[in-house]
Amino acid sequence: MAAAGFLSPIVDRRASFLTMPIVVIGLSHHTSPVELRERFAFAEAKIPEALQRLRSTGAADEAVILSTCNRVEIYAAMMQADRAAFQALQGFLVDWCNYRGPLNDEVYSLGEPQSIEHLFKVACGLDSMVLGETEILGQLKKAYELALQHKHTGGRLNKAFQKAFNVAKQIRTETNIQRGSVSVGSVAVELAEKIFSALQNRQVMVIGAGETSERTARALLSRGARSILVANRSYDRAQALAGELGGRAVPFDRWAAEFEKIDIVISSTAAPHFILDRVKLEPLMKLRKNRPLLLIDIAVPRDIEPEVNFLENVYLYNIDDLQAIADDYLQQRREEIARCQTIIREKASALLGADRRSGFAFGSSPAFGPERTSVQARPGSLNPGL
Amino acid sequence: MIYGVSAIYSVFLWRKGFREDDRVNFSMLLLAGILHTTAMLKRGLGFDRCPVNNLYEATAFLLWTIVAAYLVVGAWPRLRFLGAFAAPLLFCVGVFAMMPGLDNPYGAHPEFRHDWVSLHAALVLLSYGAFGLGSVAGLMYLTQEHDLKFHKMRAIFSRLPPIQRLELVIQRLTITGFALLTAGLVVGAVWLALPAGVSYLDDPKVHWSILVWLLYLTLLIMNWRFAQGGRRFAWGAVGCFLFVLLTFWGVNLMSPIHH
Repeated sequence: MAAAGFLSPIVDRRASFLTMPIVVIGLSHHTSPVELRERFAFAEAKIPEALQRLRSTGAADEAVILSTCNRVEIYAAMMQADRAAFQALQGFLVDWCNYRGPLNDEVYSLGEPQSIEHLFKVACGLDSMVLGETEILGQLKKAYELALQHKHTGGRLNKAFQKAFNVAKQIRTETNIQRGSVSVGSVAVELAEKIFSALQNRQVMVIGAGETSERTARALLSRGARSILVANRSYDRAQALAGELGGRAVPFDRWAAEFEKIDIVISSTAAPHFILDRVKLEPLMKLRKNRPLLLIDIAVPRDIEPEVNFLENVYLYNIDDLQAIADDYLQQRREEIARCQTIIREKASALLGADRRSGFAFGSSPAFGPERTSVQARPGSLNPGL
Repeated sequence: MIYGVSAIYSVFLWRKGFREDDRVNFSMLLLAGILHTTAMLKRGLGFDRCPVNNLYEATAFLLWTIVAAYLVVGAWPRLRFLGAFAAPLLFCVGVFAMMPGLDNPYGAHPEFRHDWVSLHAALVLLSYGAFGLGSVAGLMYLTQEHDLKFHKMRAIFSRLPPIQRLELVIQRLTITGFALLTAGLVVGAVWLALPAGVSYLDDPKVHWSILVWLLYLTLLIMNWRFAQGGRRFAWGAVGCFLFVLLTFWGVNLMSPIHH
C-alpha cells in the first residue's frame, strides 16, 4: 500500500502528459496565399521566445513551431483541446504576428487523430507543394530540435515527432512517393547519371544564360560535375553567371571550339534558328572520339536540330521531353498517395493506441473534436497567386 | 522447362523496364537451380565422378555455374533484374545441351584426362564464359541505349547501370575473353600431341576457333583504333557470341579431334 501510495503521483503525472491531446493550428499553401503566409512567418531567431510566451500564457503545455515558406504551424500538446483552447492558440498566432486583418478559412486547426496524421503527412512531404519532396522533413526536424533544445517539448510531442520521422523513413523506403525528379533540372541530372559512369569528371557547357539553364547547371554541379563553361551573346552576362557557378565564360562565337572537352550541353538561347545542327555536330563528334554527349535543349524556339539525336552516342532532350518525364514522376507519386495514407493512418492509430494504453485512463478523447476550419489536401484549391 | 518459362517471363520484364526487384523470376530460377543441382548430383553419384566428361555434361556444368552465380548475386534485391538477362542465356545454352550426339557414353576414364588438354579446355571454356557475360552486358547496353535515345520513361526507372559503365564492362570482358582464348589456343597448338595421322589443318574446329579469334580481334581493334564504341561495339559483342553459341556444338560434332 505504501509503495502504491509512493508511486501514485509519478503514475498520475505520467498519465497526465500521455493524455494531453496534440493539436495543430496553422496556415499553409493549400489555404492561404503567400501574401498572408509571409505575415505569419516566424523568424528562426524569434521562435524560442515565441514558444516561451506561448507556454507562459498557458495556451500550450508543449509546443513546436514550424515556419517555412509554404506553411506556418504550431504543434501543441495541452490538457484540454476544446474550442477555447484553439481560440487561444489562434489568438496567440494573431497577436504574435500583429495581424489585424480578417481571417476566415485560411487558418486550420486539427485535433487528434487528424493532428497526428497531419504531422505524419507533413513529415512525408504529402502535404507539400511539390508532392513527396524531402526538404520539409529537414525543416520539421530543425523545428523540433529547436523546441527540444529550449525544453518546450515533453513526452507527448517528443514521441509524436520521433514517430513522424520514423514514418517518413518507412514511407520513403516502402513506397515510390519520393522517387524520381519532378523538376526539369533534376530530371536532367538523372538522365546524365544514366549515361555517364560518374558526373565527377564531366564538363558542362551552358549556352545562353537563362534562369532554367542556370538551375539545371547548378543541379549538375551539386552532383559533382567538374566545371561549367558559359557562352552567352552578352559576354558580361556569361562572365557573371560563370562567376556565380565557379566556371569560365566563353565568347559566344567560340563555343564550338570548346566542344571537344564537353560532355553535357544545356542550351537556352533566344536564337530564332538552330544554333547546333547535324552538319555542325558530326565533325565535332569525331573530335570527341564518339564519347557520349547529352544535349539538353530548353530553349523555345529550339536551339538544337532534332536530327542530331540520330547521331551515334548523342542523346538529345528538349524541354517537352524533360517536362514529360517530370510529369510522369509526379503522376507516379500521386498514385502512391493512397498507400502512404494507409500507412499513416495505421501508424497514427498505433501511436494513439500505445499512448492510450500507457496513459491508463485515456479512454475517450477529451472534450474536443477534429476542429477543422479547412482541409489540408486540396491541390485543386491552390491559390493562383502562389 | 523452367528456364524456358523464366526466359518468356523475362521478355515481359524487359518491356516493363526492370523497375522492381523481381521475386517471381528469381523464384523460378531458384527452383530451376535446385532441380539442376539435384540432377547433377544424381548423375555424379551414379557415375561416381564429377559430371564433366563429355560435351553435354560440360554444357550442363556451365549452365549450373551461371545459375549459381545469378542466385548468389540475386540475394541482393537491387541486382535481381539480372535474371531477365540470365534466363534467356540459360534457356539457349540449355537447348543446345539437349541436342543429340552430345551426351556420348564414356568409359572408365574421363575424356579430359591429360593435364594440357584440361588446361586447353578450361581456358577456352572460360573465354567463352567471358564472351558470354560480355554479350549479356552488350544486351543491357543496347536496351538502355535504345530507351535513352527514344526518350522512354523506363530508361530512368530502370535499374540498369549507366551506359558508359556498361561499355567499359563489355570492353573488359571482351579483352579478358580474348586473352583467355589466345592462351587456350596457344596451349592447344604448342603442347598437345595429336594421334598419328591427324592434322590440325584438316580440323573444322581449329578453323572455326581461328575465325572466332579473328572476329574478336577485329572487334577490339575497331574499338581501340577507330573509336567504334557504344552501340556498334555492343552489337559486335552480342553478334560474335551469338555466332559462337550457334556454331559451337555443330563444329564440335564435325571435329575428329574435339568430338
